[in-house]
Amino acid sequence: MSLAEEYTETSEGSRLEQGVAYIQHNSRAYLLIAPAAVFLLAVVGYPIIETFRLSLYQSPADSNIETFVGLQHYVEIFNSDIFYRLLWQTGRWVVVGVAGKTLLGLLIAIHLKGDIRGRKFFRTAFLIPWGIPYAISAVVFRWIEHPQFGYLNAILLKLGIIEQGVGILGNPSIAWLGVVVADIWIGTPFMAIIFLAGLQSIPQELYEAAAIDGAEKWHQFRYITLPQLKSVVLIATLLSTIWTFVSFDVIWTMTGGGPISSTATLVIHIYQVGLQNGNLGRGAAYSVIGFLFLFVFAIIYLRIYTRGGDEL
Amino acid sequence: MTMAGHDRSSLRKVRLYGVLIALLGLMMLPFYAMFSSTLKPESEIFAAPATLVPSDPSVQAYLQVWTQTDVLLWVGNSFIISVGTVVLTLLLAIPAAYSCARNDFVGKRTFLLSVLVVQMFAPVVLIVGLFDVITQMGLFNTYLAVIVPAAAFTLPFNVWMLYGYFKTIPVALEESARIDGASQLQILTKIVLPLTKPALVASITYTFLYAWNRLLFVLTFLTDSAKYNIPRGVFSMVGALQTDWRMMLTVSVIGIIPLLILFAFLEEYIVAGMTAGAVKE
Repeated sequence: MSLAEEYTETSEGSRLEQGVAYIQHNSRAYLLIAPAAVFLLAVVGYPIIETFRLSLYQSPADSNIETFVGLQHYVEIFNSDIFYRLLWQTGRWVVVGVAGKTLLGLLIAIHLKGDIRGRKFFRTAFLIPWGIPYAISAVVFRWIEHPQFGYLNAILLKLGIIEQGVGILGNPSIAWLGVVVADIWIGTPFMAIIFLAGLQSIPQELYEAAAIDGAEKWHQFRYITLPQLKSVVLIATLLSTIWTFVSFDVIWTMTGGGPISSTATLVIHIYQVGLQNGNLGRGAAYSVIGFLFLFVFAIIYLRIYTRGGDEL
Repeated sequence: MTMAGHDRSSLRKVRLYGVLIALLGLMMLPFYAMFSSTLKPESEIFAAPATLVPSDPSVQAYLQVWTQTDVLLWVGNSFIISVGTVVLTLLLAIPAAYSCARNDFVGKRTFLLSVLVVQMFAPVVLIVGLFDVITQMGLFNTYLAVIVPAAAFTLPFNVWMLYGYFKTIPVALEESARIDGASQLQILTKIVLPLTKPALVASITYTFLYAWNRLLFVLTFLTDSAKYNIPRGVFSMVGALQTDWRMMLTVSVIGIIPLLILFAFLEEYIVAGMTAGAVKE
């Protein structure tokens, strides 16, 4: 930003004049970012403001009449049992989902790291679950977990683990597990790819030195791999946390939040209340609560990303 | 290397490949379930418990699917939505990224960081406000109702990817072209963009996949079934009481084939895009 300082120092006149002169001087630069900036303000910025505004109104989707209700939605939400149940269900969904993706991703990355023949093939194949429509993955898992015709039951029966078919997605106490498995499957490739890239950036000399010192495999992992991978793991799990938190397509296609709301997370509830039931005001209030979570995640991300005063 | 050492290292190799193939097998199981089911005749797909291997495999489902479902229409709509999103995003992202890479101005840091924040802002928490905006803009039930929000949420990735790459292209190249009398637009399209190819391909693939794969916007902003894309089409086949699993899974297989081709050719670019935000060099 040296140019900016220089310009303000050398020009004379009122601050407004200085500002106008500055923009004129850099008009081409501003003109080129203007379309993107205006577009984002209109399609993301404005809806954010609109969500805050709507959350203070009673606003049915099917009518134009809005009634100002102040903080009533928030008061009702915080006094409802549903909210705390949603937090619990969202929490377990995120924790189990991210843990599963991280562990499986790490396992895959470690085995892809070395001198593997056909690594490109393996890497491409592992990528596929991440890159296909979530709705398709969701129906495939629905099919696998089908109570009568599903492959999972067929395998469990064959192995003698169960005696008759179980319905996972129809059972309120275990349905979320049936959905989180699909979400882990979808989210694992991202983790594997990121970890692999992180592993490959660790200097090979560290391992050679450790091998000469006679360090065992586990010790190498514990004292070289993990510390070196720390910042990559941090960013990847944070991104994965955000994406798992806002995961919509999979849950919506597999269960729609049911049975008896047992697989609903905060974002599923936003959709049900705001768009399905057409209670825009209440849905907006839940959205604002969702913003708060994302805001915290975003701050942490920016902190890590711009750490050490990196030049943008 | 001694004989014993050699044996140990080849044993380790075998174990490594063993684990790798087992992991791959695990990840590929859902695809096996999907694909093998489409090869079963109607009577077998509804066998309880399921047969793990089709007893009499046939490709009949792949002959019927074109007439029994709207799969061609959905694939076509998916292409329209994906290509539309790519075009709109690039039109906005290229000038912005170029401007940030070549100029130093007040508000640049703010712009780039707010773009990064948009990246975190998942559309689903914004869907209520977005619904209002799309309706007010009169876009409801048009392709733009999906393209516009998809472009907004892929823009951050595109801006950062291109910005990072533009910075690596020496300004001297552009200056010599300017001396030769080339216009700003000529410099961008003839000199800068061709050099940016890797970043452009990564951006285009990311945007294309994003628009192809997401259900949310189509589910919310398109009620006209003639505009359904693949995810929405598959979703519409999930019946409350009855689901034609055989057709639905066949549509699913067809819906991912274009993506498999994309992965096979552009894997490196996709990986480069995925790691861009997480692994700093």
